[in-house]
Amino acid sequence: MADSTQQAQAPTAVAPTAAELATLRPTLISGNKTPAQVTRDICAPIERGPTGLWWAAFSVALTALAIGTVAVTYQIAYGIGTWGLNRTVGWAFDITNFVFWVGIGHAGTLISAVLFLFRQKWRTSVNRSAEAMTLFAVICAGLFPVIHMGRPWLAFWMAPYPNTRGSLWVNFKSPLLWDVFAISTYLLISAVFWYVGLIPDLATVRDRSKPGWRKKIAGFFSLGWNGSARTWSRYETVYMLLAGIATPLVFSVHTIVSMDFATAVIPGWHTTIFPPYFVAGAIFSGLAMVLTLMIIARKVMQLEDYITVLHIETMCKLMLSMGCIVGLAYGTEFFMATFSGNPYEQFVFFNRAAGPFRWAYWTMVCCNVMIPQLLWIRPFRRNIAFVFFISIVVNIGMWFERFVIIVTSLHRDFLPSSWADYTPTTIELATLLGSFGLFFTCFLIFCRFIPAIAMAEIKGVLNDPPRERKPAKSIEDAPQGDAA
Amino acid sequence: MTQFPDNIQSNEPEFHGQEAVAKAGFGSMDDPAEVNRRRFLEAAGFSLSVAAMGGCGRAPVETALPFPSQPVGAIPGRLQNYASTCAGCPSGCGLLVGTRDGRPLKMEGLPKHPLSDGGLCAVGQAQPISLYDSKRLTGPLLTGKPSDWATIDQEILQALGQIKAQKKSVRLVTPTITSPTLQTSIDKFLAPFEDAKHIVFDAVSSSAILDAHQQTHSARLLPHYRLDRADVLVSFGADFLGTWISPVEFTAAWAKRRAPSEDSPVMSYHVQIESRMSLTGTNADRRVAIHPRDQGPLVGRLAEKVAVLAGKPHWEKLAIGADDSHEKVLDELAKRLWDARGKCLVVSDSQDIGTQRVVNYLNHLLGNYGTTLDLENPSYQRQGNDSDVEKLVEELVANQVGALLVADVDLLHDLTGSFSLAEAIGRVPLTVSFAPREDEFAAAAKFVCPDHHALESWADAMPTSGLMSLAQPTLRPLGKTRALLESLAAWSGQPTTAYDALRAYWEAEIFPARSADAPGDFLAFWERTLLNGFAEIKPDQSTVGKFVADSIKPLDQQKVLQKESDAFSLVLYSKVGMPDSRHAHNPWLHELPDPVTKVTWGNYACLSPGDAEKLGVKNGDVIKVSAGEGRVPLELPTLVQMGQHDGVLAIALAYGCKGTDRFAKVGPQWFEARPTVPTGERLGKNAASLVEFRDGSRQTSLADVTLTKTKSHRELAITQKYHSLNVPAEVAPHGAEHREIVERTTLPAFAKDAHSGAAEHHFEGEKQLWPEDHEKTGHAWGMVIDLNKCTGCSACVVACQSENNVPVVGYDEVRRQREMHWMRIDRYYTSYGTGEGEEMDIDHQPMMCQHCDNAPCETVCPVLATVHSDEGLNEQVYNRCVGTRYCANNCPYKVRRFNWFKYPHDDTLQNLVLNPEVTVRSRGVMEKCSMCVQRIEAGKVEARSHGSPVADGAIQTACQQSCPAEAIVFGDMNDPKSQVRASLENPRGYRVLEELNVRPAVSYLRVVKNTEENTDEMNTDENKSDMKKHNGGSHHG
Repeated sequence: MADSTQQAQAPTAVAPTAAELATLRPTLISGNKTPAQVTRDICAPIERGPTGLWWAAFSVALTALAIGTVAVTYQIAYGIGTWGLNRTVGWAFDITNFVFWVGIGHAGTLISAVLFLFRQKWRTSVNRSAEAMTLFAVICAGLFPVIHMGRPWLAFWMAPYPNTRGSLWVNFKSPLLWDVFAISTYLLISAVFWYVGLIPDLATVRDRSKPGWRKKIAGFFSLGWNGSARTWSRYETVYMLLAGIATPLVFSVHTIVSMDFATAVIPGWHTTIFPPYFVAGAIFSGLAMVLTLMIIARKVMQLEDYITVLHIETMCKLMLSMGCIVGLAYGTEFFMATFSGNPYEQFVFFNRAAGPFRWAYWTMVCCNVMIPQLLWIRPFRRNIAFVFFISIVVNIGMWFERFVIIVTSLHRDFLPSSWADYTPTTIELATLLGSFGLFFTCFLIFCRFIPAIAMAEIKGVLNDPPRERKPAKSIEDAPQGDAA
Repeated sequence: MTQFPDNIQSNEPEFHGQEAVAKAGFGSMDDPAEVNRRRFLEAAGFSLSVAAMGGCGRAPVETALPFPSQPVGAIPGRLQNYASTCAGCPSGCGLLVGTRDGRPLKMEGLPKHPLSDGGLCAVGQAQPISLYDSKRLTGPLLTGKPSDWATIDQEILQALGQIKAQKKSVRLVTPTITSPTLQTSIDKFLAPFEDAKHIVFDAVSSSAILDAHQQTHSARLLPHYRLDRADVLVSFGADFLGTWISPVEFTAAWAKRRAPSEDSPVMSYHVQIESRMSLTGTNADRRVAIHPRDQGPLVGRLAEKVAVLAGKPHWEKLAIGADDSHEKVLDELAKRLWDARGKCLVVSDSQDIGTQRVVNYLNHLLGNYGTTLDLENPSYQRQGNDSDVEKLVEELVANQVGALLVADVDLLHDLTGSFSLAEAIGRVPLTVSFAPREDEFAAAAKFVCPDHHALESWADAMPTSGLMSLAQPTLRPLGKTRALLESLAAWSGQPTTAYDALRAYWEAEIFPARSADAPGDFLAFWERTLLNGFAEIKPDQSTVGKFVADSIKPLDQQKVLQKESDAFSLVLYSKVGMPDSRHAHNPWLHELPDPVTKVTWGNYACLSPGDAEKLGVKNGDVIKVSAGEGRVPLELPTLVQMGQHDGVLAIALAYGCKGTDRFAKVGPQWFEARPTVPTGERLGKNAASLVEFRDGSRQTSLADVTLTKTKSHRELAITQKYHSLNVPAEVAPHGAEHREIVERTTLPAFAKDAHSGAAEHHFEGEKQLWPEDHEKTGHAWGMVIDLNKCTGCSACVVACQSENNVPVVGYDEVRRQREMHWMRIDRYYTSYGTGEGEEMDIDHQPMMCQHCDNAPCETVCPVLATVHSDEGLNEQVYNRCVGTRYCANNCPYKVRRFNWFKYPHDDTLQNLVLNPEVTVRSRGVMEKCSMCVQRIEAGKVEARSHGSPVADGAIQTACQQSCPAEAIVFGDMNDPKSQVRASLENPRGYRVLEELNVRPAVSYLRVVKNTEENTDEMNTDENKSDMKKHNGGSHHG
């Protein structure tokens, strides 16, 4: 990390000074910060205590969480019947929410691991929050497979543990079991990756704290970090390795989630395009959620200097590209259905577009394909309010995408006698609300107690231009090539 | 044997509240072939013992007592069958009562019964749950308060004495009674009174048929219809496969003529001419929708035409005022009938005596009397006399009745209209009800002397001349109830027990009439009959006069034809699952989807699609039905009924019964649940008030009603929401508008090519991609369902519910599409007509777990809770199921049922109905048809104990056993001689969704309709061939 930063900075060191450059071009971090300032700014929310805005947001989130908790408790006490499911539509809000939240998580891993490996320095401002978001989203996601069970108290039966029931084992053919492994692996790796990245910052917090609980806790979790070259070296090796491990997860987790559907016989589910389609969709929705969170966080935590319009714009571009992939997937799916000659599959797609759930389908298409096209226009990308709006729209659209895939495929399958409708109950709506409550509660607690931006990393890119490739190419090409 | 009376009549308090069940077993039917007198006595011996045991499942241990003395031959937990007679309706079907540990649990058809031939309808199947009904009266009531029999008898005898002294009239009202013994005791009871009359009141009567025969044949009789002998069958509205007179018998007879084979491609031709959509109409080869007022004229026109063919044109115009809109149909029909004279049958459900006379004339012209209608050996299954009922109403209103005794019918509920009898009945000095529950009349009566449940009582029945059957109690009465016969005997001054009376009557009357080859003395005859359930005796030849040609008069329809233009013609009918109000407390029947409408819980107003559109109403919109002065308007939810004639409003009777508010909380209760019965209301509305007396009959059709739309809406609990095999046009892929789920062909096409109508499946006969990895070397259980025989009567649905402990979930859950039935019957109207119903294919398809070899449910379960047995069964392991519902999602047939809630099992008495052989599922687990695996295992154990292989037919699934049409065949597909193997090779065989390659173990036999080859809509045919083309490229699954 450090090496690469230094090497990358080398050519610019002989060029105009940082201050001069800043006047010419914007840097990644605005405000011409010194490292000390960075530390002060980022530790401020932790040290000065929560603002009124934080309390307001926290109480809203906590209320939502409480409502969700009541709903889930009621549902577990009375049964799945308190949901709007029926003999035909066996999954709806539950698995929609699950896939939605798993998808959200993907952007975090993409930003922290994949962009790290690709040396995208702009990620430093957002990677910590994005990773935290991943973690909380996966927690939210993990909740649904458990509560959607008829007998959630037996959820541990999904684990292949040695038992006294003779040779009773789990079914390794079942995609739901693959999910168990995929999600738990993802949670574990994400948590470790996030925590390892936190260690230097925790040490900073520790060092800045007066003796007390914060110092103790930060001290414990910073694992005796002393900032020595050896510590940094070890740290960066581990971080690099974890990034390498986490990267395949970006693709594998949602691939496996998509197989919940792709391996089924139900038309609309049984399709080979699902793995890439789901991964693209996941990253798309995750980026939207990162944007939503970042835009809120930079306001609430006064981190405008760290999460700049540049970051937002870059993310928008990424989101736009993902949105286009998703749009392509929709089209391909539709084309394949009509081209397949399989009447059941053709029907499912016509039914999506023109059947009883057409409103959901067209909501999905508008939110995910049409509206994001506005991001081609630069002023829109740089308009924070507009981007915030788009990010919400994409979140909604991506939720509907899963709803459409799950519900419209199930509600009219092979035998017309069994066709049914689906309407969510209040319990389901409250559970969805509750999952957002859980997510934001966790996120706000994170913002309050843990440095929301990776201080150690940001200090390395303080005076970096947003894009170094252009100057590097024009000024000096060779060293750059080596570093890559 | 002398101990019987003690045992049966005993009302000693050995019962521990309602949780106790006593055992009285009589004559094991386990293996009739092996039963001799000695064996019978052994079995009968244990009737002495009384076993009290607590509920089942998790009953408190302290109430579960063992047998005080082990009855000889009784093995705890082992099924014992007793032959009996079904008392669900007066049809008198043979019943086999399966009991376990003294609890009657499963009603089955009595094999080889001359009428029902091993079948039993849904109503018969549903009896156990009404037996274990905690709302049944447990003892007599005196002015609404519990009393004892001694007091009651004393008071009634005193009152009757007064009536006798004052020479007041006595009226005993019952529905049709087929029991000669009971009839004798009624006669004996009424004899001493100067003015006494037994009034036979059938809520849905066939009075006009009897009255018409009085006029045409000088004998008030109901002919015994022999549908099995009819090559051509024309029914004017008679729902003989559903509710008309003796549906099980008729279904069996009808189905025998619906099995064309490659060698003999013949079958009967069945035409149904009706106004509403009846179950029979859905099964006809040709269905003509008519306005109810046209029934008479059309019968008349048909008679005119047949008379011409017969060369005796008798009247120039038999039907005055008939339009000629159906001339072509009638011409064809007349010709077909005439060609099949002596082998055809015309029936009508009309309550118009004039119409029925013409029907008789038709059958007379066609020479059907003596072949397809047996009047010399008549049927006693319907004896209702509406003119007597009409007179009773007059007498009651005129305050001329001294004593009114009512058994088995709710007079205040079923007999109402522009008049109300409530007040009149209040003025009758002596009112006695024999109702098992506090129905409306019972609530108004001074004395309530509850009768036993049929499963608790001795009885006999003579449903048709020459057939005597016995009904025996299968458990000791649960309450201190008393048989009607015993009550009457007690008040006649000759107290006896039902058993004694029965034996005495049989010894005196039946035994002498035994068939000539019956060996032995009376005891032997009695025991044999008890074991067999029935005895064929010398029929009492009825004296039938010659056909009175003068009785046939032109039908003057002018009166009927004068109609207000916007008025609707009402058609009142009884539902297949709810023949009369006696069954109003049966939750299984309420939750049984109607075979035609698929609606559960309550009645509704059926409108044709055209009328519904005109009125601007959709399913569930409440409409107000007003029927003129003095009649309370009814507010009922609408049901749009395909195939119903415009201008017709059809409403089911037997709803809105007192006490049905008990079902308000029948299903799971949570905050969004809607009650099954709205607060303060009853289940459904009583349409009996719309019945009117006209020309000496209770008219269930023709009354004029006006409809007004209201603002309220009550969603109907329908189990099927989409009704066509054509997918909705707006989302239909080109060339695949039609789904070949139900394959059809026509008789001419079938005769040419037995495989006609088959969908071409892409990989049939091609190599499988994967090796056969689960070869079944032992048994391979499979099922074949003949869709051409299946009428959709739904007996199997209740049979399955009873056998497999399927819970009742209530209105709200059904509304949410969460019915729990393992067996359902899909009903499709394949091309929508304009309400005329002629251009529509109607199919019934029983659907249950298909036990696929490549089961999609099995691979997706993460915990291996659903697995494949080496005998080809798809097994659900309730214990292991965690409830992800993935299996149900992935089931192409959507036959899996999830326990959304913990369904109520709080009624400990009702829990006695549960079959101990089948797990009661907890909430959160998936369930589905197991192909009655408990029966398979029991059959295997039985065979093993004999050291022989499982015989074909020895194992019958519950659905198969009950099927009146014998449409279901189950067996070992590996057994080359098995019936199922033979059926599999039937050229009509196909598997549903075969193209998915899930390889189901259930296959179906294609429908063959006896119609012209090209009457299938051209449209659909094109679609079919188009789809085949497109299907060629599909690799799904």
